[in-house]
Amino acid sequence: MTPLHHIGNFIRDLVVQIPLWCVRALFVGTLIAVFLWVLRLPRETTTPENATHWYQNLKVWACLALAIQILIYSIF
Amino acid sequence: MQTLAALDYAIILVYLIGTLALGLYIGSKIKTGSDYFLAGRRLPWWAIGMSLVATDIGAVDIVGTGGAAYQHGMAVGNFEWIGCVPAMIIGAFVFIPFFWRSGVYTIPEYMERRFNVAVRSALAVCWIIFMACNLGIMLLASAKMMHVHLGMTVNQCIYLTAFLVGVYTISGGLAAVVYTDMIQCIVMIGGCLLVLVLGVIDLGGIESFHTKIKAQEQIQRQKQVADTAKEKTASAAQGELHTSLILPADADTPFPWTGIFFGLALILSPSYWIGNQAIVQRSLGARSEFDAKAAYIWGALLKNLIPVIVAVPGLIAFVKFPELTDGDQAFPELISHLLPVGLKGLFLAAFLAALMSSIDSYLNSASTIVTNDFYKRFYRKNASDESLLKIGRIVTLLLVFWAIGFSFFLMSRSEGIYTIFQTLMAFFQGPALAILLTGLLWKRATGIAAFIGFFTGVCFSITLFTLNQEPVYTALGIDPLFQISEPFLYFSIWAFVVSFSLIVIISFLTKPEPSEKIEGLVFGTKSQKRIG
Repeated sequence: MTPLHHIGNFIRDLVVQIPLWCVRALFVGTLIAVFLWVLRLPRETTTPENATHWYQNLKVWACLALAIQILIYSIF
Repeated sequence: MQTLAALDYAIILVYLIGTLALGLYIGSKIKTGSDYFLAGRRLPWWAIGMSLVATDIGAVDIVGTGGAAYQHGMAVGNFEWIGCVPAMIIGAFVFIPFFWRSGVYTIPEYMERRFNVAVRSALAVCWIIFMACNLGIMLLASAKMMHVHLGMTVNQCIYLTAFLVGVYTISGGLAAVVYTDMIQCIVMIGGCLLVLVLGVIDLGGIESFHTKIKAQEQIQRQKQVADTAKEKTASAAQGELHTSLILPADADTPFPWTGIFFGLALILSPSYWIGNQAIVQRSLGARSEFDAKAAYIWGALLKNLIPVIVAVPGLIAFVKFPELTDGDQAFPELISHLLPVGLKGLFLAAFLAALMSSIDSYLNSASTIVTNDFYKRFYRKNASDESLLKIGRIVTLLLVFWAIGFSFFLMSRSEGIYTIFQTLMAFFQGPALAILLTGLLWKRATGIAAFIGFFTGVCFSITLFTLNQEPVYTALGIDPLFQISEPFLYFSIWAFVVSFSLIVIISFLTKPEPSEKIEGLVFGTKSQKRIG
């Protein structure tokens, strides 16, 4: 056994204890965090100059992509 | 073994002629190196977005992901979902506009501006090795599948694909690559969707598919319980479902949640979407900063669809052909059994599309790196734009020859295609992300620290890989370092940790970079205007 084996075994024993519902919360929580970050982006960084329509705001489409992800990871 | 009918050949021929004609037409408009490598910086978001997806989903993924889904279940879908979407969205709003404004041709070029020529060269060498090897892997993946259906030898399939892709890539450069990718993306999604729909219908509809897969899972679980050689916890056995995305850390799979979250979502994915030359080069050719961002968002939306059309057919094969010993045969078997005359030709056109869209991208990007980061940087600093066009085309031609040779070499190997591909990336993606993040986000990071951190990180991941090979750990009398079968996701985590730590420590021990040198190259420094 090398020192790397000891470190690996220690970490492995630790993560195996984490229940899968916590892991799911971690996955979904990460996606929700990105979703909220996108919502808070200033409008000038997400729309082209002279934008006149809501669908020209990239925030809408980024949020849609993330919402689908949140749904998928909540179910499967 | 079923072969193609005249109608199938006709469909394939129409697709190939259309692609070639478009590529050659675009090639006739190419006049300079900038046209060739960055499409004259005139690309629209919708074409780039589809090209991003087509490039990322190659034939390797269709066969490999379908095969991995057959063997390990839907967890392979993580590579297209959490392994793409968040990184693409963060990249779109944070990193891609930054690169676009800097006016660089390649990511290694940015590294020299930010750090030094050694970092640029080290990263460029890694990308060249990765892309060159991938070209061979992709050609072989195509041959493995096409020779079954086309009634050709593997060698003939390799020559045919290399010729077709080579002609339009050499002629039209990035613009030809992006616009043909766009068509290939449509054909690919259509073809895979066809297999999915026919497969589900063949199993009796969605409800029946769901019931059958549950039954098959039960059979598989009983086999695992009976297998006394494998010591599993009850929770691991319970969690290893073919339809689960999140698998336990001690599951007998290459995709446990620890590797997926820490290795894929946090390391490999950001490194791929913000640091892979073949990917980022498209957005560098965007006609505006907004187009560069929008392309990534559009790509992220399309990515939501990909596992459904690529991985789910692997599950269909899992139900329909549970006796297969090689997962890579799952997709070919489905096509042989499901598709009637005409549709088989359409799917093979889709498969060719997936293959060509990845090979053309890697050809073009590898040529861009060789021309800009080696030829222009070290040999002809004052080379004209026209001469760079000529060199770019010659390099592309040489790469086509290399790809053919390497695919022949790989034929004697038996390891799964997907595993080879992922292992290659995992060697340097972690260290590459470490230098990219520290370079972009931390003013104090120095060139010496970045070089040592990158070099050590790559050596470390190769060492981990080597120590995990059975002949090596047996000879040394030690246990394998990792207990899962294909631990490539873990290499990238540890390599990133080692690189990042070294960069931070050495940066504090070395002289800071002059502020005028890093101005506009690091977040928080003077804002940039578009250069070039």
